[in-house]
Amino acid sequence: MGSNLGRIALGIVAVAAAVVLFVVLQGDDGSDTENGGGGDAAVKVGTPPTGNGGEDEKAGGQGKPAVPTIVVRNGAPVGGVQELSFEAGERIRFDVRSDSADELHVHGYDVERALPAGKTVRVDFPASIEGLFEAELHESGEQIAELRIEP
Amino acid sequence: MTLLPYAHALVAREDLPIPAWLFAWGASIVLIASFFALSVAWREPRFEDDRRRPLGGGLSKVLLELPTQILCGAIGVFLLGVAVYAGLRGTEAPDRNFAITFLFVTVWLGFPVLGAFLGDVFRPFNPWRAVGRVAGATFSAIAGQRPRHLPYPEALGRWPAAVGLIAFVWLEIVYGPSGGIAVALSPDDAAVAALVYSGYTLAMMALFGVEKWCERGEVFSVYFGMFGSLGCFEAREGRLGLRRPLAAAARWATLPASAAVVVASIGTTVFDGAREGPLEGPTGTVGDWLVDAGLGEIAAARIVDTAFMLLCVAAIWLVYEIGVRGMATVRGAPPLGRLRRGFAHTLIPIALAYLIAHYFSLFIFQEQAQFTYLLSDPLGTATTDLFGTASGGIDYGVLSANTIWYVQVGALVVGHVIGLVLAHDRATAFWGDYRQAARSQYWMLAVMVAFTCLGLYLLSVANS
Repeated sequence: MGSNLGRIALGIVAVAAAVVLFVVLQGDDGSDTENGGGGDAAVKVGTPPTGNGGEDEKAGGQGKPAVPTIVVRNGAPVGGVQELSFEAGERIRFDVRSDSADELHVHGYDVERALPAGKTVRVDFPASIEGLFEAELHESGEQIAELRIEP
Repeated sequence: MTLLPYAHALVAREDLPIPAWLFAWGASIVLIASFFALSVAWREPRFEDDRRRPLGGGLSKVLLELPTQILCGAIGVFLLGVAVYAGLRGTEAPDRNFAITFLFVTVWLGFPVLGAFLGDVFRPFNPWRAVGRVAGATFSAIAGQRPRHLPYPEALGRWPAAVGLIAFVWLEIVYGPSGGIAVALSPDDAAVAALVYSGYTLAMMALFGVEKWCERGEVFSVYFGMFGSLGCFEAREGRLGLRRPLAAAARWATLPASAAVVVASIGTTVFDGAREGPLEGPTGTVGDWLVDAGLGEIAAARIVDTAFMLLCVAAIWLVYEIGVRGMATVRGAPPLGRLRRGFAHTLIPIALAYLIAHYFSLFIFQEQAQFTYLLSDPLGTATTDLFGTASGGIDYGVLSANTIWYVQVGALVVGHVIGLVLAHDRATAFWGDYRQAARSQYWMLAVMVAFTCLGLYLLSVANS
């Protein structure tokens, strides 16, 4: 008896499980994939882990090819860790303004920039490696941005 | 919870999550492969066969002779010594110190993959086994009799190894970084841990005997031996033999608590993958509660991570247990205990697939460091350039995101198929009646599909 019936039942369960996972995935991923925008620096302010909200004024325009600015106050990024998306082969471009002197370090690329207090510093280098990279401050030790370089 | 400051962790990048279309393809292939496996299933066990073909006398002799054994053991002891020395005397930056990359990447990830193809390669190089054997031989020579050992409590089986495995991964991903990426345990801590573990292991070997402890309690022997049981070479009775790939896995899992070792391996990897993704929210929330309750941030992070890691292991155990209990309902099933132990080895390929899926890029990138600056400047103090490669570095361009994705998904799919093959094979051995064997396998199929889809899911949501 059951052989065929069992196979069919199992198939239904498996397909249902796959569909559920797929839906869950789409829900999580949707906001990420739709932010293409065409520009070099499509910026997305994700839900920051620190939670205390507040989008940076310059980073607000979704999909605009404006260069995003990360504002650092008391050694920590305003609005939490900023998520910046770029495409491989283009240029990674963003500004950092810190109220105290610090040093920026982009992991993986090993790009370092001195950040004089109160000055806006433009960071600009080619997006040659794919993956997720952290940008952190050496003095305060805080991560200020996550760079997402997609193929 | 704010992110804790950390020293530079090992690899300064993380993998992009696999795109939705690849997830969908991976899951579809898994399902199609599973149904295909059901329809072409064979009726006689094929991987229970323990025979092997002895290999050419000369080579076998050279590889297994005493001088070779001594040389391999000495290499193992020497490398462990270098790692401990570098950890104690070298820089505290984990990424510039030989100890961390060597112990946690080269050895910990290298031997499972190597073993899965070749067999138990770690055994000859096991530094504790080498020291234990020399100590035993010395004792025999002086006392004129072989050392006597306590009888090992057989019911304990491989529990010491399972617990040790969790402790090792805990040290690596919970105690070390809590909030950082990959490995950020301080080299000093790693070296001290290695010394403590060496003392413990040698004491246990003295109590229960070297080989007995290696089979059951020594974490690295058991763990690497588990993956080595998939490989095709084997040294037995002083001769090297070629065996059918996968065939030794069934024999590996005959000791009690073997299932616990496999489950611990999968569960801890799941935790490592999930805490940057789906578990990031929950761990943060619970961590905040603990901080509010007056705990320090590091202590809170460690407690939360420990709890969630154990939860992940428990969840994996639960899924396996459901599969086992499901199989037990099929007519003609062997007793529960025998079933639980009897299908443990079918999860080894899944455990390996999880390892590859989660650490493939880390391994490829970090091995470049291992063989350039970490080799020439093991202390990371810029005082030595032993092989002229101290100024080398990691070229992150060697792997594109696409390559990493395909390897990750490919590993999960292949691991799934091999797991199914082993489970089906075991069922045909346990159930005399082919129809009942096939029915029992709906349960294992569900378990495997669950694990593989979980793996794909973790890859697709990591860090997003």
